[in-house]
Amino acid sequence: MASTASRDMKGFYRQKKSGGITKGKTSKASTSKKQQPKNAASFGSDVAQTPALISHGALDINDGYDENESVLRQFDMNMAYGPCLGMDRLARWERAQKLGLNPPKEVEALVREGKVGAMCLWDGRV
Amino acid sequence: FPAMGAMEIEADNTHLQRKHSLYRSLDEKFEIQKETYRGQQYSQIYFARLHHMRTLLYSLLPNWKPHLPVCTVLGLEEGKECIIVGTLYKHMKLKPTILDEYSKERSVVPLVKPHNFIHPDDHLVLEDESGRVKLGGTVLLPSKYVTGIVVALHGKDSGAGDFFVQDVLEAGLPPQIEQALKSSSIAYLLLGLGVNNPLPQNRMNFYHPYGIFGEDKYVVFVSGIRVGSNMSNPLQFQLLVDHITGHLGDVKVKLHIEQEQSIAAQIVHVVIAGNSVEIPNGLLNGQNLGSKEQSMLSEPIKELDILLTQIVAGVSVDIMPGPDDPANFSLPQQALNRCLFPGSSVYNTFRSCTNPHSFGLDDIRFLGTSGQNIDDLEKYSEATDKLEFMERTLRWRHLAPTAPNTLGCYPFSDRDPFLLEECPHVYFIGNQNKYETCLLTGTEGQSVRLISIPKFCETGVVVVLNMRNLECHALSFGTQFGT
Repeated sequence: MASTASRDMKGFYRQKKSGGITKGKTSKASTSKKQQPKNAASFGSDVAQTPALISHGALDINDGYDENESVLRQFDMNMAYGPCLGMDRLARWERAQKLGLNPPKEVEALVREGKVGAMCLWDGRV
Repeated sequence: FPAMGAMEIEADNTHLQRKHSLYRSLDEKFEIQKETYRGQQYSQIYFARLHHMRTLLYSLLPNWKPHLPVCTVLGLEEGKECIIVGTLYKHMKLKPTILDEYSKERSVVPLVKPHNFIHPDDHLVLEDESGRVKLGGTVLLPSKYVTGIVVALHGKDSGAGDFFVQDVLEAGLPPQIEQALKSSSIAYLLLGLGVNNPLPQNRMNFYHPYGIFGEDKYVVFVSGIRVGSNMSNPLQFQLLVDHITGHLGDVKVKLHIEQEQSIAAQIVHVVIAGNSVEIPNGLLNGQNLGSKEQSMLSEPIKELDILLTQIVAGVSVDIMPGPDDPANFSLPQQALNRCLFPGSSVYNTFRSCTNPHSFGLDDIRFLGTSGQNIDDLEKYSEATDKLEFMERTLRWRHLAPTAPNTLGCYPFSDRDPFLLEECPHVYFIGNQNKYETCLLTGTEGQSVRLISIPKFCETGVVVVLNMRNLECHALSFGTQFGT
């Protein structure tokens, strides 16, 4: 690691420009956003820090997160059904069923129909 | 299959029929062919274990302390007496951790003892989905417990950051399927303890008189044959093979004295509990093998196959993989591949089985391992002998509680195959230093024969069990003359 004298610290950290992100960065952000699969950070993505999803000044907060997905996330986070990492949602639902935990039927329906992601919310993020 | 009474046999008519038993394999839960690895971690198997055991313990609580409330770890209130159920974790000072290699300062802790990692400072922690709590008090002795057991604890939050344990409930021996033997056992209950060794009440050596209930059928247990090692004596194993197949001794019987061949005819099954072969280690160092080394590598297996072919021609054999056999490392070890045994696998009496191995013969249930589960317990806890470790695994209703913590294990996601649903009649472990056995009794009439099978290459000893009365004795194949 190259030693940085104090005068280089400013150059070491990226300077924020007052007028938002430059055009070049915006196009990169939008193309990388298109390539990302729904509901998950992409595995092996080379952006160490997710670029702010600012396209033409409007923040996209939802990131494809809707009502159905929020029901599934509650299912993922519910400790009664065990850990969610490393298992796809359907397999976890079936395990909960097999162990007699009576998981909500709508969760199974949503996953089978493909309206929500197959993997849990942490998949690819931890 | 007429069971020939071994008694009146004419000298001319020397045909002895081997007795027959109905065999049923119960190994399905130990097979992993249908499992797929989807990146799951060990938290999944721990969840399956906790859920199963907790449901069981909850059903036992009304008979234990029905007046106390049950809470989760996070729901503990200071000073309030309650019951919590969770998985035990033992924090061990001397347990080797991978992080020690990366710590900058060499710690003061001395070199790790290879046999046992117990330290007086070890302490227990109870964990469930909501959290974990350190356990205090003197009821739970850390040296007797290991990580991975699920128990119910009666106690209270001491306010000092730990849970003061007042009492503990283990699952206890699982229910046992009644066998026809039971009616005769009750009749002989009055015979009492063996005089010379005062054993605790639940471990007795029954002395059943010979006779009227059923007939003698024997199962031979052998382990640690290690064909190919410089410790193994080929003559010893050949003697064993000759004995089992009835090529030793005299067939003529006089005056109701059983001769060797008629005893051999009563052997209905042979179990080989692991470490049957020793692959020369020096060859497995990543270098390319020439044809000479390749044949050196396969010599021990070929020799074992030849010996096994002699046995399977006459009696059914179950061969289990052991820690040093060419099988996968983590439990449950899968059956040794049949292509390793081209000669013996042709016979339908040859069975390659998983480790652990569970099967039924007539109406007797057998369960056993090649020893890894108990050897691992010995590293992380203390007991008077191996049989006591075996008894604990039955009382905890888990065959290998230290898996996956310190014992390699497949990451099952929806079940834990080592949980014991029912109590076997015979429970054996292989590759031990000496032959030990006892009869364990449970509070609901369960009766289990515990067997520790010694290493054959070192001791020349095999274990013979009589299925009629679950009595056990050792058979020694010494090859020294004139001692």
